[in-house]
Amino acid sequence: MFSIKKWYKILYHKLFHLDDRLLLILAGSVTGICSGLAAVALRLSLESVIEWLHPYRHYGWAFILPAIGAMLSSLYLEKIAREGAGHGVPEVIYSVSRYGGLLRFRSSFSRLISSFLTIGSGGSAGPEAPVVMSGSSIGSNIAKFLSLNDRQRITLVGCGTAGAIASIFNAPIAGLVFAIEVILGEWKFVNIIPIAIAAVAGAEVSQAIIPEQVVFNHQPFQVGFSDILPSLGLAMATAIISVIFTKILRLSGKLAKITPFPLWVRAFIGGSIVGLIAIFMPVVLGEGYHSIQAMISETFSMGLFLAFAAVFAKIFSTAMTLGWGGSGGIFAPCLVIGSLTGIVFHRALFALFPTIGFASEGAYALLGMTGLVSGVMQAPLTGIFLIVEITGGYETILPLIVVSSISSTMSHYIEPASFYFKELIERGQFLRPGTDARILSDLNINELIETDYVKLSENMVFRNFIDILKTSEQHFFPVVEDETGEYKGIIQISSIRRYALNPGMYDMIFLNQIMDTKVLTASQENDLQEVLDIMDINNMAIIPVVENDQFIGMISKTRILDLYRRELMMQTSIH
Amino acid sequence: MKLSIIELSQHLGVATNTIERWIKQGKLPVSPKGVNYQFHLRDLEKWASKNNINLNLKKNGNRKEKESNIPLATAVQNGGIYFDIQGHDIKSVLNACLEKISDIPDDFKIDLFDRLLEREKALSTGVGNGIAIPHPREPLVYLNTPIVSACFLNTPVDYKAIDNQPVSILFILLCPSLNMHLHLLSALSFCLRDNMFVNFLKSRPDPNTLIEKITILQKTNLS
Repeated sequence: MFSIKKWYKILYHKLFHLDDRLLLILAGSVTGICSGLAAVALRLSLESVIEWLHPYRHYGWAFILPAIGAMLSSLYLEKIAREGAGHGVPEVIYSVSRYGGLLRFRSSFSRLISSFLTIGSGGSAGPEAPVVMSGSSIGSNIAKFLSLNDRQRITLVGCGTAGAIASIFNAPIAGLVFAIEVILGEWKFVNIIPIAIAAVAGAEVSQAIIPEQVVFNHQPFQVGFSDILPSLGLAMATAIISVIFTKILRLSGKLAKITPFPLWVRAFIGGSIVGLIAIFMPVVLGEGYHSIQAMISETFSMGLFLAFAAVFAKIFSTAMTLGWGGSGGIFAPCLVIGSLTGIVFHRALFALFPTIGFASEGAYALLGMTGLVSGVMQAPLTGIFLIVEITGGYETILPLIVVSSISSTMSHYIEPASFYFKELIERGQFLRPGTDARILSDLNINELIETDYVKLSENMVFRNFIDILKTSEQHFFPVVEDETGEYKGIIQISSIRRYALNPGMYDMIFLNQIMDTKVLTASQENDLQEVLDIMDINNMAIIPVVENDQFIGMISKTRILDLYRRELMMQTSIH
Repeated sequence: MKLSIIELSQHLGVATNTIERWIKQGKLPVSPKGVNYQFHLRDLEKWASKNNINLNLKKNGNRKEKESNIPLATAVQNGGIYFDIQGHDIKSVLNACLEKISDIPDDFKIDLFDRLLEREKALSTGVGNGIAIPHPREPLVYLNTPIVSACFLNTPVDYKAIDNQPVSILFILLCPSLNMHLHLLSALSFCLRDNMFVNFLKSRPDPNTLIEKITILQKTNLS
């Protein structure tokens, strides 16, 4: 024990404080390896449980399996891990923007277990979001262990995310791009290098441990010039499917909330519906990597109409799994739906123009994936680089960019917020770096309050007040009760001027007769956003802060502007 | 519905120059129409909700409706002018005055008397030159209009005024709201600073000339 402490101290003081960037690179690679391991662990356990359950799949009662899995998973999350349901990515984004990437250690395994239960039993969800949650929590806790500051912790959260995605798809650049595009939201020089290293580390881990089970083995495709025009059509199709997918996901979540059942019953219902669908269409089960592999390597056996039905069956069963209490992400379902859409599109194209030499079905499956990833997550770069890395070459880059940009633009037009951000925006928690909301959320009311105000008694005679006024520089005087000090109102110099110039009034009135009692007050618990809204609507330049009937101080617009500007400079400064 | 630059600038609380600059920088959803820019309300609402901006589209009219202030002369007319008030100290004088004022419902007279005394205890309302302005500190909500009753005492009483002179004239000031109270108090104290007016009061004028005099004085105050 002693030697660990000693080594920790040596490491901490001698090595890590050498250079900020070196420290981040070292910690980042460790994070990448750890989150890569987490991803591999989830992949391997999913594989084995699917294999183990495979013989039972053809029984009639097998439809109950996803129901049990989803129920156990929601019970686990709710009762044992005590974390909210859902996929976790919005929580990571919020934590990055609000709490400097602080995540609980528990999160590094809780989602892994719950999504293992959901997906392993056949629920339609993706393992990426749980792995991202777990990876970023590992990064956050490594930062905590090294007692790093918020900025460095955010970088390590990005490293965890990148490592996880890179490890699952064996695609380091996609991991890097996903971490920056979706999780961090800003391209900063200091972030990119550690995250890139973490991504490569994560990908190497999965390559080393499960080389034969990597989701997408590199596969070159021939995409010709004649595929540009069809890819426009495919982009439209994927955009429409993306919007439908997002809407149905959210709708089913809302529907589930209005049912009177507890969460685990809901999860059970959702799971059994997925199981029933799977009797007719087993492609909807699980995370669907096997069907994706089949589609890319062109061994997919479904016909045109059946595949078309499968698109909607997968959408519906994903909504039933995630919306009704199952645990997992939407990345893998996006890929499955995307590749199904691509296949349907290709087969329809082939039926209409049998003579033109289009690219293979697998290429269209990949293009469809890009379309869905760009449309649903509105992360066009992630979509492009994921497929570029999977195909291992830049031959497909032109149609990829066409599909990705059109799909993300079109779905952005219909649904301005991506699936990940929508929840945050609705809760008012979408705080990207350098935005107004972010600065307002960082500034605390207590930093803004000016407290050096002379308080006056409500029973003071006006003449005494005039004497104070002569020497004071205050423009506002809070009036309080004599004994309890309770806040009563405020005197504004501007509104008492006419009495102050009339000496006949000096002995006639008391302060509580001329104070303004209708001025709205703020409390220390208010958000700055709320306070500013009150001030804006009522045209106030200054607002008293009152807590438990006691006058605390005043917040003025001048002071807000001053601090706001400083905060903006600090937040957007180059580190 | 369409909005012009001027309308939008009023809603957002910025200058029209600012709106023009934002248009040039491509920050607003504008639909150019000839020389004049116009904004579609639907586009603006979408833009505002996306950027978390408060458009302030509801017309907030002038909420500060001005309370119509009654001139002092009218208030004195309403309150009445009473002569020959009997009494030898503050209490008896005030009591005698309240007896005469007919605007106060009888049920409230005792309460009002207490309030007037309380005010005198806190600080004398004797303003000097033998004049006092008794009034309660809180507004009297049961009154319809503010009243000022001028009461001339038979014998001057000791009122603990600032100049220690005995008081022979009382202006009892009763208002339904704080605003009117401050307004009438201010007007009254302006009149009482005028020495000619004070001497005129000492001569115990008849009611009509007193009100006439106050009206004239008020005009000089306002001008």
